[in-house]
Amino acid sequence: MLSAAAASAIPRLRCATRPRLRRPSARTYWPRPFSSSSSHVTPAPAAGAGAGELEPPDLTRLANAARISLSPQEAEEFEPKIRQLTDWFGQLQVVDLESIEPSLRAGTTADSSLREDKPETFDNRDAIVEAIPSYDDPYIKVPRVLNKE
Amino acid sequence: MPPPLQAHRLLISHRRLPTPARRRFTAVPSLQSAPATTLAPGPATSSILSIRESLLSGERTAADITSEYLSRLRRTEPSLRSFIHVADAAAEREAEELDRRIASGEKDAVGPLAGVPVGVKDNLCTANMPSTGGSRILDGYRPAYDATVVRRLREAGAIVVGKTNLDEFGMGSTTEGSAFQVTTNPWDNSRVPGGSSGGSASAVSARQCIVSLGSDTGGSVRQPASFCGVVGLKPTYGRVSRFGLMAYASSLDVVGCFGSSVFDTATILSVVAGHDKMDSTSSSQVVPDYASELVSLDLLESKPLAGVRIGIIQETLGEGVANGVISSIKGAASHLEQLGSLVEEVSLPSFSLGLPAYYILASSEASSNLSRYDGIRYGRQVSADDLNELYGESRANGLGHEVKMRILMGTYALSAGYYDAYYKRAQQVRTLVKESFKDALERYDILISPAAPSAAYKIGEKTNDPLAMYAGDIMTVNVNLAGLPALVVPCGFVEGGPAGLPVGLQMIGSPFCEGNLLRVGHIFEQTLQNLSFVPPLLAES
Repeated sequence: MLSAAAASAIPRLRCATRPRLRRPSARTYWPRPFSSSSSHVTPAPAAGAGAGELEPPDLTRLANAARISLSPQEAEEFEPKIRQLTDWFGQLQVVDLESIEPSLRAGTTADSSLREDKPETFDNRDAIVEAIPSYDDPYIKVPRVLNKE
Repeated sequence: MPPPLQAHRLLISHRRLPTPARRRFTAVPSLQSAPATTLAPGPATSSILSIRESLLSGERTAADITSEYLSRLRRTEPSLRSFIHVADAAAEREAEELDRRIASGEKDAVGPLAGVPVGVKDNLCTANMPSTGGSRILDGYRPAYDATVVRRLREAGAIVVGKTNLDEFGMGSTTEGSAFQVTTNPWDNSRVPGGSSGGSASAVSARQCIVSLGSDTGGSVRQPASFCGVVGLKPTYGRVSRFGLMAYASSLDVVGCFGSSVFDTATILSVVAGHDKMDSTSSSQVVPDYASELVSLDLLESKPLAGVRIGIIQETLGEGVANGVISSIKGAASHLEQLGSLVEEVSLPSFSLGLPAYYILASSEASSNLSRYDGIRYGRQVSADDLNELYGESRANGLGHEVKMRILMGTYALSAGYYDAYYKRAQQVRTLVKESFKDALERYDILISPAAPSAAYKIGEKTNDPLAMYAGDIMTVNVNLAGLPALVVPCGFVEGGPAGLPVGLQMIGSPFCEGNLLRVGHIFEQTLQNLSFVPPLLAES
């Protein structure tokens, strides 16, 4: 069970928020795909979710969610590169994917096997403990967990 | 699933080779006594078999063979830097132990890989050696267990000589993304070996070891195989256990292998493949003895590939692909035709969409998989006043630039409200890619293409341009999306470097049809005239 402090440290997912959509504008997606014919790309109808521009990445929020501290210089360095990449991802917005089932995986192993739910003792616990940076037998030591406002 | 290779009936290969027939493979003369320039031109032979023969006949000891490879390794490492960690003492000990067991007449002493020096990519856990994943965040980390593939190698008698360099956590196409060192290409040390399994490819190419293990999430075995002029195999998703492979993108990762010949690659695949209870995505399909299905050159008919239907993927031979690569692949296609196969162009719709779809899926899965590197249970910890700061600082300090970028991109793609726009659409593209491969593989036994749009480029050329680097993966990512097996075999050269730069032919098959790919690849390799893929640096020894 998560303590109240830990639980509040996890950013709340803003499920109710929808991305702000703008009218599709002429965009070039770089790099150009290698195939010389792009006849398979069918532009989707202009209206509806997914056809417009999505809100650009908010680096501060993302870095916080990913638990990676970014210095201001790093944020400045990353921002245009990430923007460029997410713009590039935008290529997928204009493809007609109506009625295509999403594939969670390759599907080559339909025979997924489950093993017996029988606990076994791992024979090298010492090595696991040795790898822990901050250990105070039998506890893994961590600093205090703060309430994030 | 399409039936096995049609030409199977017409190949003499369905007659199993009796063991004495193995002597038909010419033993590779030791490279110390026969430098590359004086080796007779011709097809690569099996180093694994020649080691096996020398051990069984008593002509050589494992200690002697290991010492030869370690000495070549030490001599070439200052220039190549393929290895993050070299386990010389352990390797020598293991070789001596093997010799002792052989001498005492122990029945199972000579396993399928007995005495064979192997390299292991550093994102595979090895219990007695550091395993860093190419990252500072795991600097000094020693896993508590061996990856299943490593355990199987050891059980087969292989001698693990060290851990090879890689782009951090498998993210990259040049090995420049390693936190430790940049590996160079044995064909030209101002050029990249490819990535992310660059160290594994260059180690085999430079004969620092005989075979090696790598991993392939978006081309990380196939592209370096092409850049370094070695054979590289990406198995079907589920063919080889991923237990002990540091996860990058769990629905795309596979463990793959490198060898200097198709025969050796087939041998190592048989050893590591197969169901593993520790990997619930591993398949229980039977693992054939792949090497035993390969026909020796003198038993081949004049048209050994008669009846085989091969499709060249049209989208891989157009704009953006170097002329030298296109002509090497067309040359390979006509060689395959001369062997009796039918070769036609085939178009794969949605081919170009695979690249952004791959990067969305891979980054998203990576953002989840890499959340375990938090400085708490293993790896580098940066101390801080509160837990969140400890996470933030440890990860900021330990993770490299490219890894951070991909985690952030993945976090974005998976954020609330963006799932439909990115992740779900990428999965839909995945369906399209799978279906278009399936259609094509119903009409053709094998699909071929280059493994990369160019040969090896210069170190530093793509470091400031992530999209330019990603663009190079166009030939390989779709295969990962569909989970298909693919084999890269060196097929030609382009100009560059002191002796030209190698180009590999990628052959793609249906799920679990590695055997077909290896059979065709072997015939292709054995009949390739006047091309030697031993890099010039070996002639200097």
